[in-house]
Amino acid sequence: MSFIEPDIDFIKHLKKDCGSVLTTCMQCGSCTAVCDLSPENNPFPRKEMIWASWGLKDKLLGDPDIWLCHQCGDCSATCPRDIRPGDVIASLRNYCYQYYAKPHFLGIIMQKPAFLPLIIGFPVVIISLILILAGTFKIPDGPVIYSKFFPHGLLNISFLLLVLASFSGFVIGLKQYWKNLKHSTTVVKPNGTLLPGFFSVLSTILTHKNFRFCTTNRYRYWAHFGVFWGFVMLLAVTFYAILATLFFEYPMAFWNPVKILGNLAGLFLLIGCSIMIWQRIFDSEKRTNSNYSDWFFIISLFLLTASGLIIEIARLQNWSYAYHLYFIHLVLVWMVIMYIPYTKFAHFVYRTIAMTYSKYLGRI
Amino acid sequence: MNRGNSVKEKSEGLGKGILVVGGGISGITTALEAAEVGYRVVLIEQQAYLGGKVSMMNQYFPKLCPPWCGLEINFRRIRQNPRIQVLTSAIVKKISGSEGNFDVILELKPEYVNNQCTTCGDCVEVCPVERENDFNLGLDKSRAIFLPHEMAFPHKYVIDEKKCLKEECRKCQEVCKYDAINFEQFPEIIELKIGSIVFATGWELFDVSQIPELKFGVFPDIITNLMMERIASPNGPNKGKIVKPSNGEAPKNIVFVQCAGSRDESYLPYCSGVCCSVSLKQALYLTEQYPEANVKIFYIDLRLMGRHEDFLNRILDNPRIELIKGKVGKISEEKETGNMICEAEDILSGIKISAVADLVVLAAGMVPNISSLEKTSTDESGFVSDEKLEPGIYAAGCNKNPQEVSASLKDATGAALKAIQSAKQ
Amino acid sequence: MNKEAKKIGVYVCSGCGIGQNLDIDALQSAASENNDISISRVHSFLCQKKYCEIIHNDIIDKELHSIVIAACSPRVKTKEFSFDPSIVVERVNLREQVIWCNPPNDEDTQMLAEDYLRMGVAKALIIEQPEPFISSTLNSDILVVGGGISGITSAIESAKAGYRVVIVEKEAQAGGWSSRLLKQVPYSDPFGTLQDPIIHEKIKELQSFKNITLLTSSEIKEISGQPGEFSVSILNKNTIMEYMVASIILATGWEPYNATNLKEFGYSMHADVVTNVELEEMAKSGKIVRPSNGQDVQSVLFIQCAGSRDKKHLPYCSAFCCATSLKQAKYIRNFSTETKVFVVYKDIRMPGKLEYFYKEIQKDEQIFLTKGTVSEITEENNQLLVTVKDTLIDEVINIKVDLVVLATGMTPRNSEDLNLTYRQGKGLPGLKYNFPDSHFICFPYETRRTGIYAAGAIRAPGTISACIEDATGAALKAIQCIESTKRGESVHPRSGDISSPELYMQRCTDCKRCTEECPFGAYDETEKGTPLPNPYRCRSCGICMGSCPERIISFKDFSINAVSSMIKAVHIPDEFEEKPRILAFVCENDAYPAFDMAGINHLQYSAYIRIIPVRCIGSVNKVWISDALSQGFDGILQIGCKPGDDYQCHYIHGSELTETRGENIQETLQTMMLEPERIRTEFIEINEFNRIPEMIEDYLETIEEIGPNPFKDM
Repeated sequence: MSFIEPDIDFIKHLKKDCGSVLTTCMQCGSCTAVCDLSPENNPFPRKEMIWASWGLKDKLLGDPDIWLCHQCGDCSATCPRDIRPGDVIASLRNYCYQYYAKPHFLGIIMQKPAFLPLIIGFPVVIISLILILAGTFKIPDGPVIYSKFFPHGLLNISFLLLVLASFSGFVIGLKQYWKNLKHSTTVVKPNGTLLPGFFSVLSTILTHKNFRFCTTNRYRYWAHFGVFWGFVMLLAVTFYAILATLFFEYPMAFWNPVKILGNLAGLFLLIGCSIMIWQRIFDSEKRTNSNYSDWFFIISLFLLTASGLIIEIARLQNWSYAYHLYFIHLVLVWMVIMYIPYTKFAHFVYRTIAMTYSKYLGRI
Repeated sequence: MNRGNSVKEKSEGLGKGILVVGGGISGITTALEAAEVGYRVVLIEQQAYLGGKVSMMNQYFPKLCPPWCGLEINFRRIRQNPRIQVLTSAIVKKISGSEGNFDVILELKPEYVNNQCTTCGDCVEVCPVERENDFNLGLDKSRAIFLPHEMAFPHKYVIDEKKCLKEECRKCQEVCKYDAINFEQFPEIIELKIGSIVFATGWELFDVSQIPELKFGVFPDIITNLMMERIASPNGPNKGKIVKPSNGEAPKNIVFVQCAGSRDESYLPYCSGVCCSVSLKQALYLTEQYPEANVKIFYIDLRLMGRHEDFLNRILDNPRIELIKGKVGKISEEKETGNMICEAEDILSGIKISAVADLVVLAAGMVPNISSLEKTSTDESGFVSDEKLEPGIYAAGCNKNPQEVSASLKDATGAALKAIQSAKQ
Repeated sequence: MNKEAKKIGVYVCSGCGIGQNLDIDALQSAASENNDISISRVHSFLCQKKYCEIIHNDIIDKELHSIVIAACSPRVKTKEFSFDPSIVVERVNLREQVIWCNPPNDEDTQMLAEDYLRMGVAKALIIEQPEPFISSTLNSDILVVGGGISGITSAIESAKAGYRVVIVEKEAQAGGWSSRLLKQVPYSDPFGTLQDPIIHEKIKELQSFKNITLLTSSEIKEISGQPGEFSVSILNKNTIMEYMVASIILATGWEPYNATNLKEFGYSMHADVVTNVELEEMAKSGKIVRPSNGQDVQSVLFIQCAGSRDKKHLPYCSAFCCATSLKQAKYIRNFSTETKVFVVYKDIRMPGKLEYFYKEIQKDEQIFLTKGTVSEITEENNQLLVTVKDTLIDEVINIKVDLVVLATGMTPRNSEDLNLTYRQGKGLPGLKYNFPDSHFICFPYETRRTGIYAAGAIRAPGTISACIEDATGAALKAIQCIESTKRGESVHPRSGDISSPELYMQRCTDCKRCTEECPFGAYDETEKGTPLPNPYRCRSCGICMGSCPERIISFKDFSINAVSSMIKAVHIPDEFEEKPRILAFVCENDAYPAFDMAGINHLQYSAYIRIIPVRCIGSVNKVWISDALSQGFDGILQIGCKPGDDYQCHYIHGSELTETRGENIQETLQTMMLEPERIRTEFIEINEFNRIPEMIEDYLETIEEIGPNPFKDM
C-alpha cells in the first residue's frame, strides 16, 4: 500500500521557483476548462495543482501532462485565485531538468544564479586550454580568418567530444524519466504504437499546431516558430558547414544558398528571441512569470545568435576585435549546446518524449 | 404640494428619532422593528418606492415562497404605524453632530407625482415615451410614467426623470383627474434632528460583463441570476413563463455558472454566500415549469449552510438537475445552432466537458451598495464595517456582509436595537 | 352597541372609473335597502384631502359610529381614510375587485358591487372598534435562559437599552462553549491571525451592568403566565427564586453530536481519534498530544462533516465546522512547525468574507486540503491509517497520521428546559431537527410562543459571529414584545392589533378545540378542559374562532355575527342557470392581495363570486359555511396560503387546519344532503394572481355540473 507523503521542501522550492502562492488553489478547475491542449480524460492542470500543493513530487515527475502544456498563460489569466498554474507547471518542468540531470550537480547549478560565473567560466577555460594546447591562443595577423585562431579540425573534434559527453548523461537521465513515465501512468489500453505516435507528434511540433490554441498570448506562436525553425535551420547549416570545412570551400561565399539560409535562420532566431524577451518584460497582464532559468535560456540563445551575426560582420569588415568576438561566440555556442540536457533547452526532448508517450496512451 | 413641508411638520415631533437609510427589506425591517418598540423612525429610500431587490425576486429559497408575502405584511405594518415616516427619492447629503444628536441634511428629489395619485392608470395611456423597464432589468419596456410593480409602495405612479419630456409634453398632467402630477418641482433640502442612523443600503449585482470569458452581453441567452428572477416572476416580462431572451422559446438545456465573479481575486475575492442557494432554487422552479428540461449546475463548493442542506438534497433527488464540481472557464458559441458551449472540468469524474446550453445563467454575486454613505467606513472588500463606523451610526444587511435575506433581517433587527440604544442617550 | 342604534355613513367614490362602470345611484340605494343610513354621499375623488375632511366633519356632525368607504382596495389610501380611532371604517373594494376585473355597465358587475356594498354595511353595523386590554401587573424585565455567548450578548444589549435582565446559567461559570475555546475564527481583517475568544470581554462587560442579575448553577423550575407577566421560578443551587419578567430569550445553545455514534470513523475504537471539541480542550490546556501515548503529534487529519450532512446522523450542515477545523489546523501549526495537517471535506463552506480566512489558511504549505470521503480508519504501527476515497488527488489515497479529529456538528439543546406550564407543552415547538427556528425567511424571529425568543445555536447551528448577531436581534424582539404588550398591542404578524378574542363562557362545552388548535399556545385549560385565555400570548389570528363549534369566540372587529350578517346581505338570485353564486373566504394576508393584483392587471373573472376576507383561512367557522349554504350559495371556496412542509400560513397551521376540519364540514354537508363539491379549498401564493381567473372558472364549471343549491328557493 502506498501512502501520501507530502514533500514540504519540494512545495517550498516550487513556490519560490515560480513565485506563486500555489497552495491557495481551491480546485475550481477553471485552468483545465480554459486549456485547449488538455485532453478530455484526466485533464490538466487542475490535478497537477493539487499534487503540487500536496508536495506529491513522484507523481509530478512522471506526469507526462506537464509537457503537454505549452505555457500559453490562458490558465494563469483565468485563475480566480491568481496563482498562475501555467507558471507552476513551468516550474515543474524546470524541476525535471534538475532532477533527471546526470551528473546531478550540473542540474542543480544550472538553476542557481550564484553559479553563473562557473557556468560561463567552464567553456572559457576549456576553449582556452584547447587553444593553448593547440598553440593558437593568440590573435592572428592579416585578414580575419577564424580557422587561423581555432583550426576547423580541432574545433569539430573537441566540440563533438564535449557534446557526446554531455549527452551521454542526458540519455541516462531520460531513461529514468521514461521509467517514471511508465510507472506513473496506468496504461489501460494504449491507443497507438510508439513510432507512428512519434511521427504524428513530430508533425505537431514542426507545424507548431499547439501554439495556435493559445488565446491569451497570440505572439507566442510566431516567437516560438521563429526560434524553433531558426534553430533547426542553423543546426542544419552548421552540419553542412562542418562538412564544408572538410570537403568544400569554407567560409562560404555570401551568396551561397546555404549561407543565405544560415543568415535567414539567424534573423528568425533573433526576431523570435526578441519577441519573447519583449513579452516577458512588457506583458502588461504579467500572465507568465519569468525566473532565472527562463532568462538564462532565452538570453544565452539571444546572445548566441546575435554574436553569430556580429562575428560574420566582423569577418567581412576585418574588425580588429573580430577574434575576441569569435571567442565569445564560441563560448556561447559551447554553453548552449553543452548545457542542453540541464537547462530549459532540454524541453524539446522531454516534450517530444512525453507527447509521444501521451499519443501512445491515446491521451492526445 | 411641497414634500419638505410635510416632513418638517412631522420631524418636529420626532425628538431623537432614528434615521434608516435604504428602503430595501433590511431597512424596512430595521425601521419597523424600532418603530414597533415605540421609537420614531424616518425611513428614506433613493428610489421612488420601497422593497429594493427583494421586490424583484420571484421566490425565496429554500421555501420557494414569494418575497411579496413578507413585503405585504411589512407594508401593512408601515401603513398602520404612525411612528414611521417614509421618504422616497431621498438621499442623505450631510451628517453632522454625534451619537444621540445628529443633524442630518436630506435631499428630496422631485418625484412629479404626489400622493393624490390613485393609480387609475389614465396617464400611462397617453404617455408618448417608451423606456427600458429597469425593474425588469431592461428585459421589456414601459412608458416614462409607470407603476413599478403591483406591490409598489407607496402605491403610486413613478416618472422616469431622465426619459420623461416633462413640461414639453404634459400629456399625463392634462389627463390626470386627481391633480397628482406637477412638473414645477425642484429638489428640496430638509434638515432632521436624529438620535441614531442605520445604513441599510443593500447591494448591487456584480457586473458580469467584466468577465470576458463568460460572454455576458455578447450572447443574448446568457443571463444573470437576477434576470432569471425577473423572467420567472409572474409580473415579469413574460408573466412568469421562462423563455430565452433571444427568441422567446422555452429553454431545454440550462447551464448555471456558479461563482461568476465571486471567489475571484480579479473581481470579487469573497464568496457572496447566497448564489449556490439561488441557483438551486432557480433550477427547481425551472424544472417545475419544464419537467423535460436538463439543468447542469457547475460549482466550486456547494455552500448551503445549516438546514439548507435539505434543500440540496431536494436537488440531488431531482433527476433533471445535475450538479457538477468544476467551474466554467469559458463560454463560446456553437456556430450551427447558436447554442452556447460551456467548458469546464467535471472534477469528480476526471473529464473535461463542453456542456451545450440554450440558456446560461450566471450566478453573479453581491457588491455592496455604499455610494450614498457618508461618515462610514468600508473594509478591504468594500463592505461597511461596523467597527469603523462612528458611535450612533450602524450598518445593516448586505452593505455589511453578503448574505441571504433571513441573515440580513436578523442583522437588521439587531441594528434596530443598536439604534435604539443610541437614540435613547 | 345595538345594531339599530348605530349611526352609519356610506361614502361611494365614483372616481378611477367606478362612476363610468357602475350605476352609482342604484348602488347608493342598495346600501340603504334594509338599513337606516345616516348619511350617504358620492364623490369622484373621495381620497382627496379636502373630501376626507368633509367625511371627518360628518363623523362629528352626525355623530357617526361607523363609516363605509366604497372605493378602492383597503390596501391603498389607508392614510387618507383613517379617522378617529373610535370609528369603525369599513372599506368596500369596488375598484380592484369589481370594476377592474369585470365588464363595465353589466348587470352582473352591478349586482356584485351592490352585494359588496350591502356586505360592507352589514359588517359595519355589527363590528365595533376594539379597545386595548392593559393589565395592571405588567413589568419590563427580561429573562435570558443560558449564559453562553448568545445569552450574554442578549443580556448586554437589552441592558444597554435600559432593561433589567436576569440570566440563568446552569453551569457554575457563565460563558458556555465559547469560553472553552483556545482561539476564535477571525471575522474581520486580519484574517491571517486567530482571534482571542471574544466571550471573555463580554463577560467583563456583563459584570459592569448593574441591571443584569447573573444566576449561575441555576435552572428554570417553572415558567407560567404570559408576556408582560411571566412568573418564573428558578432553582438556584438549593433555593427557589421567584421572578416576574415580561419576555424571555432562550439561548441554551447546543451540544456536540454524540461521537460514539460515529463508529465508521473509529471513535472510541482508536484512542487517537478525537472530536473537534476534545481537540479544543486539549489545545486550551496548552499541549496537543496523542491520547494513546502522550507523544507529540506529527500529523493530524481532520474529517469534516463527521456525522453532519449525513442522513444516518445529522442531516443538516452545522455551518461552523469548516471554519473551526481550519482554525484548529492553524493553531496546531502554531504549536509545532513540523506538524502536517490534512483536512478531508465534502465542500469547504466558508461563505462571505470567511473566504479570506480559508485562503489565509491555505497559504500554509503544511495544511493539506482535499474533498473526499473517509472510507476506513485502521491502526498500523502505532499510527492511524486513513483511507480516503474520491479525492481530488486520486480515486483512493492512504494517509498515515498520529491524530484524527472528527469535525462533529451541533445539536440543539432541549427547549423543554424552559419548563413552561403551557397546555401545549414545556418548550418551544421545534421546526426541523428540533431547532426552534422561525419558518419564515422574512421574519426570522417569528416564534410560536409569544414573548419567548430563541437566540443563537439552539435556534440554528452557526458561528460565534452569527450567534452574536442573532442574540442582538432577539433582544430587540424581547424588548419590542414588552413595549407592545404595554400598549395592549399584538406582536407579529398582526403587530399593532389591539383586538383579542372574547369568549362567551356560559356556552363553552370544554371541547378543547381552541386550546388544541391555537398555534401559539395562548390558551391554558383547567383540569376539566375549560379554556383559560392569555390575551398577551394571543396573536389575534382568529383560528380559535374558527375552531369553536359553539361559536362562542369572537373579536370585536371580526366576529361570527359580522361575517354571518355579511353572508346574509348577499342577494341570491333565484334563476341559477344564469347566476350561480360562489362565496369565497379569502385569507387577507396573501390571497386577498393576489385578488387585488389580478384587478390591477385587469384580469377578468366571474362576477358570480363574493369575497369575504378573513384574518386566516383557519378562522373560518363552520357556521358560516352552513349559513352560506342555507342562504342559497351554490358553492364555497376557501382560499388560503400554502400548507405543507414549506407552509406559508402566517399562523403556522391555519391553512392546514382548513383541510383537517374538512371532515367536520363534510358532515355538515351530509346533514344538509349536499354534494361534497359545494366546498372547495384552494391555496394560492401572493404572486399567483395570474391563476385566479382559471381557478374561479374551474370551480364554476364544477358547480354548474352539480347544479343549483337546493336550498336556493327555501
